Amino acid sequence: MPTTTASITLSSADLTGDALALTTVSTLTKAGTTTGLDQTTGVGRKTTTSVSQYTLVDKADYADDKAHKVYIKNTSTVATENAVVTVESQLLGRLYAGDWCLLPYNGDQDIKITPSVSTAFTIEFLVIYEA
Amino acid sequence: MATVRAVLSLSSNGVLTSPLNLSVNASLVVDSGSLIRAKVKGVAADTNDLAIYIANQCSERAYLYIKNLETELENYIYIHNDTDTGLVAKVGGGEFAFIPVSPDKKYEVYGTRVDQMIEYGVFGNDNSANPYGGS
Repeated sequence: MPTTTASITLSSADLTGDALALTTVSTLTKAGTTTGLDQTTGVGRKTTTSVSQYTLVDKADYADDKAHKVYIKNTSTVATENAVVTVESQLLGRLYAGDWCLLPYNGDQDIKITPSVSTAFTIEFLVIYEA
Repeated sequence: MATVRAVLSLSSNGVLTSPLNLSVNASLVVDSGSLIRAKVKGVAADTNDLAIYIANQCSERAYLYIKNLETELENYIYIHNDTDTGLVAKVGGGEFAFIPVSPDKKYEVYGTRVDQMIEYGVFGNDNSANPYGGS
């Protein structure tokens, strides 16, 4: 079975007097088991030219109450360009240029993106999931 | 101002025929933040929730790191804001999330069982009019 790991490092030399240096690793497993997640969309990109909200991750494509994971990145290099991320009706927040997020995904809510610009705007994303 | 570097690595040796090996980083320009380890008392939404971000605690932008320190996978931590319907996410035992938060919303968590431990941190630009510790 596939083994997928996610690691995050948060570091800062100047945020506080005690340097921030956190690294944590998680093996991405199916809900309630130690078996690895075994399906993925692969890393994809979606480019839009509208400020209209669209569905990036459609709940109809995923089983409910599972331990899916979603990665989203705003690939823009223009500092003001951002994407509002919404989980069904819960406002998550804004990803500014170069920002990314990793969140668990239950499979029963659409994940939607609202670009801030109507020029070409690209979101990179990946879903790792289970049946 | 300070810089927090956030690096994510995703790798898999079997989920695709071609190995998955994704690494991204972001340099977050912020002026405040901390890491906190805390117990979560509540086991249902809006009853003894633990507030992890106060509305307007930060201005413009803020980022949340949260790790569920439980060893049992199915002891979840549920994240929601206090005004919208539904959940932002549920984090399984041993798992983490790194997400942006909307600065003007209050974010709270509850767990599968009483007194689950979490580690979390919010990094952003502090808004002195709404300090986390109250005034």
